[in-house]
Amino acid sequence: MLKIIFTTLTLFISLNVMAQMQFCTNDLEDFPTRSGGRVKPFYVLATDTLKFISGSTKVGELSATEAFCKLSLKAFGMPLELPIQIKVEHVEAKKLLGIPESETLISVESFSSKIDLVNAEISKIKENNSYKKELNKIKQRWQAYEAIIQARLWTIPVLNAGTIEFISLGEFLSPEKLDEARTQSSNPIQYLFAKAKSDYLSKNGDQYLLELKYFKWNFFLWAMIGSLLAIILLISFKNQIPGLILTTLSIGLQIGAMTMRVLISGRAPVTNMYETVMFSGFGALIISVIIALYRKEILFLLAGLGFNILSLMMMKFANGMLDPGISPLVPVLRDNFWLSTHVTTVILSYAALALSWILANGLLIRERFFNLSSSEYRYGVDLIYTCIKFGVVLLSAGIILGGVWADYSWGRFWGWDPKETWSLIVLLVYMAILHGKSTSWIPPHRFVPLVAGAFMSVMMAWFGVNYILASGLHSYGFSEGGAVFLGSFFSLQVVLLIITSFRLKTTQSNSP
Amino acid sequence: MNELIKTYRKIELFFGNLKFAVVIISIFTVFLTYGTFMESYHGTEYANRLVYKSFIFMAVQFCMFLSILFATLIRLPPKKHLYGFYVIHAGLITLFLGSFITYQSGIDGTLTLAPNLPARQIQLSQDEFKIELPSQGKEVSVDLPFSAGEKDLKLDYEGIKLKTFLPFSEDKLSWIPIKIQDPSQSTSKYHLFNENFGEFITLSLHPESDFNNTQQLGPLNVHYMPGTLFECFIKNTQEGLIVWNSETAKCLSPQSNEIIKRKNISGKQIAEIDFFGTKVSFLPEMSPLPLGPDLELNENSPFRVFSKKLFEKSPHLFLFGEAVAYFDKTNSEWQGQKLQKNAPHPLPWMGFKINLLENRIDAYGTQIPHYIKPIQDNSQIISGEMKAVLVEVEGKEFWVRSNSPVSFNSDNGKIRFELGKKLITLPYELVLDQFKMDTDPGTNNPASYESFVTLFKGNKGAEKHHVFMNNPLKHDNFTFYQASYFQTQQGPFGSVLSVNYDPGRPWKYLGSLLLVLGSIWHYVLRKKRISKPGASHA
Repeated sequence: MLKIIFTTLTLFISLNVMAQMQFCTNDLEDFPTRSGGRVKPFYVLATDTLKFISGSTKVGELSATEAFCKLSLKAFGMPLELPIQIKVEHVEAKKLLGIPESETLISVESFSSKIDLVNAEISKIKENNSYKKELNKIKQRWQAYEAIIQARLWTIPVLNAGTIEFISLGEFLSPEKLDEARTQSSNPIQYLFAKAKSDYLSKNGDQYLLELKYFKWNFFLWAMIGSLLAIILLISFKNQIPGLILTTLSIGLQIGAMTMRVLISGRAPVTNMYETVMFSGFGALIISVIIALYRKEILFLLAGLGFNILSLMMMKFANGMLDPGISPLVPVLRDNFWLSTHVTTVILSYAALALSWILANGLLIRERFFNLSSSEYRYGVDLIYTCIKFGVVLLSAGIILGGVWADYSWGRFWGWDPKETWSLIVLLVYMAILHGKSTSWIPPHRFVPLVAGAFMSVMMAWFGVNYILASGLHSYGFSEGGAVFLGSFFSLQVVLLIITSFRLKTTQSNSP
Repeated sequence: MNELIKTYRKIELFFGNLKFAVVIISIFTVFLTYGTFMESYHGTEYANRLVYKSFIFMAVQFCMFLSILFATLIRLPPKKHLYGFYVIHAGLITLFLGSFITYQSGIDGTLTLAPNLPARQIQLSQDEFKIELPSQGKEVSVDLPFSAGEKDLKLDYEGIKLKTFLPFSEDKLSWIPIKIQDPSQSTSKYHLFNENFGEFITLSLHPESDFNNTQQLGPLNVHYMPGTLFECFIKNTQEGLIVWNSETAKCLSPQSNEIIKRKNISGKQIAEIDFFGTKVSFLPEMSPLPLGPDLELNENSPFRVFSKKLFEKSPHLFLFGEAVAYFDKTNSEWQGQKLQKNAPHPLPWMGFKINLLENRIDAYGTQIPHYIKPIQDNSQIISGEMKAVLVEVEGKEFWVRSNSPVSFNSDNGKIRFELGKKLITLPYELVLDQFKMDTDPGTNNPASYESFVTLFKGNKGAEKHHVFMNNPLKHDNFTFYQASYFQTQQGPFGSVLSVNYDPGRPWKYLGSLLLVLGSIWHYVLRKKRISKPGASHA
């Protein structure tokens, strides 16, 4: 039966190749489809999937939408070859597949002959180490590609007994439907798609199109440019008004983007690493504005803008580590009240501590490479202390709220789970520094490098628990994005502390 | 009295000192960091045993408590600028108090609900060793230590000695020497593998070995037989019969002309074979047992017969210590080969090879639990989950493994040993009416886990409840939370609820509130700051 359908369609389509080529245009971007448990615009499905497979959202000159559509039509005999490649990052995986270390892509044609090899290698490795994870990911990329070219991944809404159901493209373009559509239009495929979209819109509305706007408008990119210009203007000119206007604009853009994300997902924007980075960057900017107004000190704003830019850059460029996609939540997190209180409080505390980290490193660099009076140094220490106070209060509240949520949901206030334990470690690290600050052990010249170093505990709690501890035993391949990022961050911070400590030793007598 | 006050002051100064606080916070942090890495490598239970619930960690926490307490006392009478400080420390002391109450009197366990079956027993995390003497109507329960490593128990109950406890272990092959060597009681270890799969198999003919003489690996059946039968297996005869003497392990694979066939009264075919001078008769279509003089099946005879044809349709691998035999479908014949150690021999199925690793007649193989640190992968313990206790009764030592009870026939009657979890019984029952798992549309990703339960309260009637994530059932100071689920052999899903009784809860909430309010008061509301250099003082 399937053969008959394919033959019919092949004949049909081969007679209309040009028409079908014209069908696969960017006009399909706003077509409703369902994937990963959510209804979304076809543009999002196409972009996310092709990015997952090859790391790129374009295939030659074609957009993701056009390429995905054309690949899907291959299932019906479209004689089209597109240069699709599969991303391979792990060195061992590259060796297995016979691709040079300097390259990160393998063509689907070459890979198809090596899928058995990958399967055999996966079954041989008992531990779920980074190599096995990478092989599984490569296999998933191949499966995603196969699902596209077999017309399984693209789902189409159909009106059935008054409700909308989604079926695969393969099922949707049945000979019966095409025959029926041919009586209505000279271009039956376009007719069927137009009808499917119109049926969906009439039943469920166009709420899903907000996601298209969210990705197309790219507010976060504009916010990054805004924050970058704002920091340049605030440093370069005495007149702070232009810088402040751009800061306000950046904040507005970020609020707009986050609001859209909340409306799309229906939950607080703090449920995965991408969103926590997003919210921390925004939170740092807001906290810096509040403290800057409270202390009447522009340095806070500069620190806030600095961290905001870092976060926005990570969101833009570190997609291997931070997935910008919007996915449904695991059951235990489906509680908006606790998500909106516990997680946001903890992330805001990390944001406040990030400000102290930027100010501490800034002070270390200024002290090492520029002239700094002891009163300026003491004043800098006080600014750092202000940020830590905010961070510590927010973190205490966040941990307590987490305990209450855990008690409410799982029946235990505290369970020594790595994530909660590391948040407590962060609090203890800063509490040890704050207590020590009142003793002779931690005078100002030790306080600043300690605060700069203490942020490593925040990074461990934030990223390390997910990317290092969660990967389990023997998985320290440092081949996964998060681990590489964290390792680089720790190395840079340690190097900076070493460089700046030489100065401290030689000039300690002059230090505050 | 003065001396006492002086000593108190010294203690107060020592524990209330800021430097002591820094040291103890740092030590506490080191423990926590170590604990998270142990949790990541070896799982939650190991981390709890090694760090979080260890005596030394408790001692560190107690020192933290002393530090907080004396840091507060040393700063009395109250000073206005320290009000926030007092509230923070009061909050922390209250939190410690609440945690201590929970530690002492709280209950934290799981209730497993099979569909439509009443359940009232809560399983706790505490390991328990049970000794039952049914003939004497006695039952003893021993709480096992919450240690991370191997522990000497040194417990003696009426001559029953509990010697060693392994909280995490794995069975390993051990060789027990045999005084009188017998080739028909050998034990062998092989490696069966192809490109995608590999399995170590140990098979034994010794009656006291823990290993069997057959094993099933997917569609492949592996049989382990005395080496003397090998020649009979590889001899291709038309009849395909093998006759063997189970006492001497001698065998015969007769050709057609060596079998005298006749029919009995009911028309069944009787085969008479000359087994090295002894005439043996069988009904090969009906039974492996020989016929006695009265033509009835003789169960006491050492002779057996079977047809190799039974093993030609599906994959059967016959191992004879240092030899292997199988039916090769391609050539329609039985083939065999002598095996040498570490020289893999190809088999006719899916590129499999068999490699002889060890073959012994001077010792038999058995499984002995050995301590190992558990290994965690994706929140699942992949090795070391088994617990074991070494028991000695009447001079005989044996291991009792978790969830695998052992019965021992002693001079005083049967004794039953069981290593499991401590259970407590609720005064009411819960029945799982239905377990429901919703998925996100168009996917298999779970969207919710829900248990529909009926709570039977004895004379007080029954209540229906709906338990799901973030919506627990509260009853009689106990709280039941949706924790996990499982599928029964019959098909429907069962549910696992975590059960909690926490008398320290109000103290923890009060302490938390004080801590947060105190932090805001102390750190945010106090206006103590250094002015910007060059700026005029306010």
